[in-house]
Amino acid sequence: MKRQIEDVKYNISKSLELPMDIIMDLPKLNLVGDGELTIQNHKGIIEYTEGTIRINTRIGVFKITGESLEIKTILSEEITIIGLIKRIEIIS
Amino acid sequence: MLAIKIWNYFKGYVIIRVEGLTLERLLNLSAAHDIYLWDVKRLSGIVLEMKSSTKGFRSLKQVVKKVGCKVTIKEKIGLPFLIHKLKERKMWFAGFLLFWAMILFLTSLIWRIDILGNEQTPKEEIIALLDSNNISYGKIKYQIDKEQIKDILNENYDYLSFVSVTIKGTKLTIEIKEQDLPPEKVDKDYPCHIVAKKKGVITKVIPKNGKAVVERGKVVTEGDILITGILTNEGTDEFIAVHAEGEVYALTRYSSIIREPIVKNEERYTGNSIIQKGIKIGNKGIRFIRGNVDFKDYKEFESEKSIINLESFGIKFPIKITTYEFREIELEEVKQDIDFLKNSNYLEAMKMINEEMPSDVLVQSKNTRHQVDNGILTTQVIIEAIEDIAKKQIIQNKED
Repeated sequence: MKRQIEDVKYNISKSLELPMDIIMDLPKLNLVGDGELTIQNHKGIIEYTEGTIRINTRIGVFKITGESLEIKTILSEEITIIGLIKRIEIIS
Repeated sequence: MLAIKIWNYFKGYVIIRVEGLTLERLLNLSAAHDIYLWDVKRLSGIVLEMKSSTKGFRSLKQVVKKVGCKVTIKEKIGLPFLIHKLKERKMWFAGFLLFWAMILFLTSLIWRIDILGNEQTPKEEIIALLDSNNISYGKIKYQIDKEQIKDILNENYDYLSFVSVTIKGTKLTIEIKEQDLPPEKVDKDYPCHIVAKKKGVITKVIPKNGKAVVERGKVVTEGDILITGILTNEGTDEFIAVHAEGEVYALTRYSSIIREPIVKNEERYTGNSIIQKGIKIGNKGIRFIRGNVDFKDYKEFESEKSIINLESFGIKFPIKITTYEFREIELEEVKQDIDFLKNSNYLEAMKMINEEMPSDVLVQSKNTRHQVDNGILTTQVIIEAIEDIAKKQIIQNKED
């Protein structure tokens, strides 16, 4: 049942060219160089240290590794991370 | 970003240090509770440092209770905290305000009155006159009416040809220009020199008071001292200042040159014209060019018309439509009669000299010279006359 609703949503979004991140509540990443990363539609922080940040989303966990990472802002919809970003992994 | 920083400064924020084990949970919960946190830094495995608004910090307490960690305030930054601090240091704040109030007050007073250009009117007299009209040192400059000063001066001294009053900082400057006074009108209480009104060759000096410093045949220019009012005592080195009086006659020269071309171009409109339109906003304008102006010789006329006519309300509407009209002209050479031209040049020159020359002079000689050069007739009229060139000038105090 759930799977079917997802498919319908996907099809509507495809055919009407609506942004998928809004319709299907998918995370949206915006990376500026290697210094600033904005993640929209997150579901909370799992781990935060200077070297790694793990962020939960609807499709899995995003693991960001780098050096001297800082959370610049944290809001219910959006997280901005600054620091030297080396690797972004999606663990689903 | 700067705008947000300034906004945060005005609202006030705190830098807090959180100690605990499940700090990620704290971040998630505060995000869910709409508590705005920023610049989150990991100091060690169990310590986080972050910034929070004062309002957010209050609601953070509930979250902290749930998570079970320790919060300490590291620093309070922002205007609300500064004001709070100042409330405790009332006298310091009062002193600060007093300082600015004093500066504002002291700079709004008149501390100096300068009078420039007075040669025949003593400075003390003008200052005393202003003083009796409530304008003196230590008055608030915003209360001083410049027009009133001008009126006072013009009423009391009818020989002033120009009065300008400016207030710059704490200095009131009055600049006047005097017409030449008949010498007997100058106040005799003040020492003065007799100076030259204009340049000339001295023919006769009649000193009545003071010591003549020029003699017959000397060439003087405007402003030179003729009869000095400062006398030296022979025995000692003391100076005595007196009110110099006397008459000084000198040979003066008036000349005037008129140039007029013998062949004159006369302009005549042919009746052809081109019209271009433009729009003017304020002083800047755009011209819509349509075709070139093909005329060999033309004159340009410009006229403006407001789009909306608000003249009746006394408002000038800034957007105007301008019309540029180019009218073609034809040039025609006309040769003028030389004798007639000479005569008209002479009359023109005499008119100019008569405007310059006072009526009570003794004309000694009159010379008229005509010269034709490259089709231009040059007429020079020179008049030499003997007149009294004495003018009194009050001796200003040394410290002025």
